[in-house]
Amino acid sequence: MNETLLQKNTRVLLIWLPVVLLACCLLFYVLMRMQAHHMQLKQLLLKQDNTWNAFVQKNGDIEKSIRGEYQISKAGDRADDKTDELKDTVIYYPAIKKSLPFQLLTRSYEWQNSRYLVTTFVSSTEITHLIIKVFLTEIGILILLLVAIVILNRKNAGSLWRPFFSSMQKANEYDITTQQSLSLPTDTGIAEFNELNATLTRLTSNVNDAFQRQKQFVENASHEMQTPLAIIRSKLELLINQPNLTEKAASLLGDINEANDRLSQMNRTLLLLAKIENNQFPAVEEVDVSQMLRQLLDNFQHHYEEFPATTTAIDDGVTVIANPSLIEILLTNLLKNAVVHNVPGGKITITLTASGYIIENTGLPTETPANELFDRFKKGSHQNKTTGLGLALVKQICSLYRYTVSYQFRNGWHTVTVIFK
Amino acid sequence: MKLLVVEDEPSLLQSILEYFTQEDFLCEGASTYHSAISKIDAFDYDCIILDINLPDGNGLQLLHYLRQYKKKEGVVIISARDSLDDKIKGLDIGADDYLTKPFHLSELNARIKALIRRKYTDGVDILEAGNLRLDLSSRTVHCSKQPVSLTKNEYDLLVYLLNNSNRVVSKQAIAEHIYGEQADNMPSFDFVYSQIKNLKRKLKEKGCDDLVQTVYGLGYKLSL
Repeated sequence: MNETLLQKNTRVLLIWLPVVLLACCLLFYVLMRMQAHHMQLKQLLLKQDNTWNAFVQKNGDIEKSIRGEYQISKAGDRADDKTDELKDTVIYYPAIKKSLPFQLLTRSYEWQNSRYLVTTFVSSTEITHLIIKVFLTEIGILILLLVAIVILNRKNAGSLWRPFFSSMQKANEYDITTQQSLSLPTDTGIAEFNELNATLTRLTSNVNDAFQRQKQFVENASHEMQTPLAIIRSKLELLINQPNLTEKAASLLGDINEANDRLSQMNRTLLLLAKIENNQFPAVEEVDVSQMLRQLLDNFQHHYEEFPATTTAIDDGVTVIANPSLIEILLTNLLKNAVVHNVPGGKITITLTASGYIIENTGLPTETPANELFDRFKKGSHQNKTTGLGLALVKQICSLYRYTVSYQFRNGWHTVTVIFK
Repeated sequence: MKLLVVEDEPSLLQSILEYFTQEDFLCEGASTYHSAISKIDAFDYDCIILDINLPDGNGLQLLHYLRQYKKKEGVVIISARDSLDDKIKGLDIGADDYLTKPFHLSELNARIKALIRRKYTDGVDILEAGNLRLDLSSRTVHCSKQPVSLTKNEYDLLVYLLNNSNRVVSKQAIAEHIYGEQADNMPSFDFVYSQIKNLKRKLKEKGCDDLVQTVYGLGYKLSL
């Protein structure tokens, strides 16, 4: 499963940061214990010195034992008592009826040929409390630190990656047919993103160049073909008017003439496609689609004797803002397809509403996959009277005005749907 | 009638010249801007067929020149540039008609004849073929003095055939003449066939038999 950069980053932080912080806590605790131990030892040593000095100065005339402070006793036969080592002990205080923990240190001294053992005490309650309090504070601080690091990191990542997301959005919205090239800022303040943007800009500009050259090529080629086509047409006209044409020659000429006319028509359509691509139909106005459709249909039915039986449901006053010629081309092409790709005795159903236009006709299944039908020179059948450019033209016009066009074949009916909005 | 054809493509120029010579025009050709200018300066023409793209100039400049010197020649522009801008510009400067390449010579012929009729005949707009008589100003057709009632398309078709009489005119040329650029979008040119059929029937009813003939595989022909 893929997660976003931010999620991944936060997840890593949330897993590893507590581990590191916990380790820090433990280390801190251990160090603090060692320090406390050291401090207690120093305190006890100092106390021992003081007590012994006082004992010697006063010729042994001091209290031999004070609870929780010190204790002096003759060593006797226990001269080998260990010294310089801390020991834990508990002293009972009858006043508060409690035993309190202490640390003690015992050392042996010699005075007037006698050995004395001096034991001093220091309370460990305070230091234990101190350690616990410091440790708890430390945990609190570390948790605060953890939260602060995660929040700061998320906030920072959000602003750090902003140029990236803005570039992503622009690249997503980039439409090669309408935009020159993608111009992304190269002063985002982050070197990597500057480089990324520069690369993207260069890439789209290269792609755009190739696209423009391709487009230009089609347009130029169609343009250049017009003159030879005109010459062929004029020569054919002269030829068919020659006296004494044999029937064979006339038939050949008729075929050539027809092929040449188809070529001219294809060429005109390619030019038209190039012009729509180059946005050379800028003039738009409110087009009454209902009226235009009725008129075209009337025209078709009038001039085409075998026009299939047609059912219409055309709403009144359906308008779009567009170039009227292009809308007419769109409607006639779909209408023409419904006639040409029909079966003898077939039917056509036409529905026009404010939201879209649906034209259905009976016919044989197409030989081309439905999603390729709108490509240039893709034909649904081997109808040799069609150019294979009609639906490409429809698609081009639809994409110019951001209409949605779709095709499907079901139960012997071809359906083309154009959604205006 | 004197006709000047300005066209830089020699092969096309030659076709146009040949076609109009057959139509009994006195034709001259020019393939450059400067040779066209010197011909215009030297002679008077009734009609000029003008290509916009010339190797040493622009047809529109030539049109400017003509109108500047108050030359009255009828001008039909022929151009590969089928942009609306060019069309409007050409007609604005004073062209009488505009035709986009590739065109049918029969279409050019019909346009030239219509132009000449508009410009040089005063009121007498009658086309005749045998006992057929067509009055362009009142848009009426008579066959042996009997009126023939035709639809608009049939009438246009008959005028077109009369303008190209004794010539084979192809189905495509007729379709394009009647429907213009819309002809491309017609599902087939079969409607031409039915129009011709109806026209022939109506003419035959009034006694103009066999005026329009079908030339198999090629088109139709109105013979005198």
